[in-house]
Amino acid sequence: MTAHNTTLNTPPKMESETDKNTLFSIRNIIWTFLVSLGTFAAWYIFQDYLDVYEFSILIGTAISLIWLGIYWQTMQAVSYWTTALTMLALWSYNNHGNVYSANEVDFFLRFFVSSQTAVMWMSVLFILATITYFWGLFAGSEFLEKTASYLTLIASIFGFVAMMVRWRETFMVNLGYGHIPVATLYEVFILFAVMTALLYLYYEQKMENRSMGGFALLIISASIAFLLWYSFDRGAYEIQPLVPALNSWWMKVHVPTNFVGYGTFAIAAMVGIAYLIKDKIQQTNPNSAFVQRLPSLTVMDDLMYKCIALGFAFFTLATVLGAMWAAEAWGGYWSWDPKETWSLITWLTYAGWLHIRMSKGWRGTPMAWWAIAGLVITTFTFLGVNMFLSGLHSYGAL
Amino acid sequence: MTDLSRTSVIKKTPKKILKKNRKASIWIPFLGSMNLAVTLLMMLAIASIIGTILQQGKPFEDYIIKFGPFWTHVFQDLGLFQMYSALWFVIVLVFLLLSTGICVSRNASTFIRDMRQYSEKLSINAYKHQPYNETFSVESFDENSAKLLLEKQGYRTRIHQRSDGITVAGMKGRWNRLGYIFTHVSIIIICAGALLDSNLLLKYRELTGDLVAETRTVSLDEIPAKSWLGPDNFSFRGSVNIPEGQKTKVLFLPYRAGFLVQELPFTIFVKDFRIEYYHTGMPKSYESDLILTSPDLDKPIIQTISVNHPLFYKDFAIFQSSYGDGGSLLDLKIRPLLSPFDNPLKIDTAINRVESLNTPAGTFKLELNDFRLFNMVPTSDELEAKTGSKYHNNGPSIIFKVRNEKGKAWEYDSYMMPNKQDGRWFFMSGVRTISSEPFKYLFIPADAERKKDRFFNFLTLLNNPLETTKILARTMPRPDGMTTEAYQMQIRLMQQLVTLFRHQGFKGITAFVEKSVPEAERERVEEFYLAQSSSSLQTLFLEILRMEYEERDEIKPNEIKEFDQQWFEDALTAISGLYDYGPPMFIEMQGFTEIRSTGLQITKSPGKNTVFFGSTLLTIGLFFLFYVRQKRVWVAYSKGNKEVTLAAKDTRDVPETKVEFNQLVEQYKEKMI
Repeated sequence: MTAHNTTLNTPPKMESETDKNTLFSIRNIIWTFLVSLGTFAAWYIFQDYLDVYEFSILIGTAISLIWLGIYWQTMQAVSYWTTALTMLALWSYNNHGNVYSANEVDFFLRFFVSSQTAVMWMSVLFILATITYFWGLFAGSEFLEKTASYLTLIASIFGFVAMMVRWRETFMVNLGYGHIPVATLYEVFILFAVMTALLYLYYEQKMENRSMGGFALLIISASIAFLLWYSFDRGAYEIQPLVPALNSWWMKVHVPTNFVGYGTFAIAAMVGIAYLIKDKIQQTNPNSAFVQRLPSLTVMDDLMYKCIALGFAFFTLATVLGAMWAAEAWGGYWSWDPKETWSLITWLTYAGWLHIRMSKGWRGTPMAWWAIAGLVITTFTFLGVNMFLSGLHSYGAL
Repeated sequence: MTDLSRTSVIKKTPKKILKKNRKASIWIPFLGSMNLAVTLLMMLAIASIIGTILQQGKPFEDYIIKFGPFWTHVFQDLGLFQMYSALWFVIVLVFLLLSTGICVSRNASTFIRDMRQYSEKLSINAYKHQPYNETFSVESFDENSAKLLLEKQGYRTRIHQRSDGITVAGMKGRWNRLGYIFTHVSIIIICAGALLDSNLLLKYRELTGDLVAETRTVSLDEIPAKSWLGPDNFSFRGSVNIPEGQKTKVLFLPYRAGFLVQELPFTIFVKDFRIEYYHTGMPKSYESDLILTSPDLDKPIIQTISVNHPLFYKDFAIFQSSYGDGGSLLDLKIRPLLSPFDNPLKIDTAINRVESLNTPAGTFKLELNDFRLFNMVPTSDELEAKTGSKYHNNGPSIIFKVRNEKGKAWEYDSYMMPNKQDGRWFFMSGVRTISSEPFKYLFIPADAERKKDRFFNFLTLLNNPLETTKILARTMPRPDGMTTEAYQMQIRLMQQLVTLFRHQGFKGITAFVEKSVPEAERERVEEFYLAQSSSSLQTLFLEILRMEYEERDEIKPNEIKEFDQQWFEDALTAISGLYDYGPPMFIEMQGFTEIRSTGLQITKSPGKNTVFFGSTLLTIGLFFLFYVRQKRVWVAYSKGNKEVTLAAKDTRDVPETKVEFNQLVEQYKEKMI
């Protein structure tokens, strides 16, 4: 099946053109100004604690965020809301003398913006969004689907708030415990959910079709289920100090980069599932409303490619950053540690996928199955290695 | 590895190259083929999976226990235990490199040419056959404004005057092609870098018999020259433990089932090693103060290293990787467990030493293995609520082995200080005979002063039949109506039961009854014996209590305190447990001076920068490959027909291409006509 035989449901919007026209819009100028101001404030307040690497990461984050906000305007709204709610949390904590236990006393903290509560809001909203997306898809209701998109967006904002506030909370529990909340399994699960949701929302807007939301949100809901089990059963939300090996600025770049990869691979696999279902139903009942509502097979196939390409690039970058960190922390850039080896396996799986697609021109069903298998392997790299194999990466043991 | 026919405008060149190759051999196309490449990628993935499931580089015995001798040998022959350096794994890698290399060399020149290829010299008909094209009539044509239009959109342009008109060709996103070259060349660079850091040279030297790994645990001067590597060794990664206040000039490289000794071109002196803890007891940081001296240096390098902060010197990097005991000084007390007198032996020794013990029970070797200053254990829930800490420090302990003349060893884990269990204080000492099993702990109850004195007084008394007989006779005078003979029998029985209990516990008494009493009477006799032994032990315990009060010039109260009653029960449990405690001695630590050693990992990694360069190239290449689209457009004017043909082609056909082309056509019509 080739790309141009099938007509597209909706012609994709020309991002680059619209961007060019609005690059210097007031909105973007304010955005750039505010991010710069925030970055300056962060530097001004914390300059004594930042070494040259952390300073570079701060500047790099600011530049990336400005670019991302301009390229994808939704990110601006997400950032504004995250900042506002985080500020509310910091203000509330400050009213109680910056003690962690204030999250049980203060009204705002207790019911909205302490990191634990924000995680609960995020969880509830993601699950609601999943149901709403599927409901919208089966009922064919654009209103429901739109509602689902907003729920996802709000859930993501709560997820960001949870991470931001937790960052501060780690320092409140004990100054020595302070760390960016991407160190434990609990923390990275929040990151995974938020990252995957935002990546999905981006593609949803680009495709102008919300019908695949349920599929993408399904994997997020699964991770939420795990997260909830992990917090209620194992008390994983408790703030613990870092082991010495994790106490490095490398973590700030290595982990988030990795989760762009994990997130996009997850979306690619869920699109793959949607693809297979649509393909199956289409053969028996080509006029099914369900089939009509989903994007065309070509668009889904293209989306799978886009996700995997983005994920692959970021996963490669993350692995390279990991190797550089390993060279500094463990004495060698590659030790055949189970996590490293499984990263390589994941990398090889998607390298194979891309080669087959780009040069052999394979499309459709086999690639969808491959993407699903890829997610199984990715999940093992992310979780299974910690559960079943021991090694240097044994930080998030269950 | 990219399909040329689909991506290139001009198909002549690649075909020519392919033809030449086909003449050369059928091997080159096979090696450079996509099928082989993907197959190799998948083989590598599967091999790696096996490597993570089978734990690598473990002692051979561990594998035999796990898989049995047959499979262990099969796996061993397949190289599955050192998977990543197994010959066939390396061969797969080499083939992948070959495949990538051939693919790059076949395609790179075409791609580079394609980057400069504007295809401006094609005929007007050729443009009309491009995937996107539109022709419309115009009144005039100005190539410069057409050029400007394209350049405004980021195209690089070329103008060609044809006999029948003018062509303005535009191209952008050439770097997409570089992406291909970067990603594939980078793989070769990364592998080359990794090869520089591999131990291939050592493998070669091993094959020629020049190098033999040392497998024994011996001192440095006993290691033969064939296990030594000079400072000129190209690359290595090894580790060494250095006690505080000592230095090293060598490093140990794990190799096969043993190790090699690597001579260093510098000396490292360890001034101090420190561990900082969080208040929960979790370690916060490990730090070593190092002084590096070398003939090349005017001044020694003085630096503190910690996890994530190594010391870099020339090609070498020195990492904090572990820590251990560096020969802590110990002040030990050895109590003979069977002696009827209180005559402990005191020795001054140190960790890593072996002491010889001559005892009436035989000659033993005492091997002192490890000292631990802190022993963090998870706390009980109630204690956590009280202290807010998840961990509790059980205090210093020593780990040692006692080996008898036959070589059988008992391993112990003994704590210096008592620990609270169920509200009572105990001294814990664990024992095991198989190193893979957990320790079984003996809990010696502490007396009111939190010492072991009362326990050993009691034990010594039980070991002394003369004394016990005397005490039993004194405290239990002959009742009226009992013959002297029967009374003596009674006392002797009691004494014998005490001895039996001392050696085998209550279990021993039950076993004795089962062996020597007919079944019909067993129950009654056992009940009687247990009652007798209990009351005898109680009597002896009261005697101990009486002596304690006497020592303190106090009068013993008639009622036994609850604490003492509980202590008595715990002591009986402990004495019953002595049966499984190994050779009859109790070794306790009275004092210590801790000397730590730091575990350093030292690497010489000349390929590191090559690998990082390759990795950077790979990452950049991927972004070029995925996010730069190579696009070509043409504006061709035909003089005769007064027509303009607009055409476009992307290397990769995506939905955007069509939209962009339509926009270009609109803009052209708007601005030019």
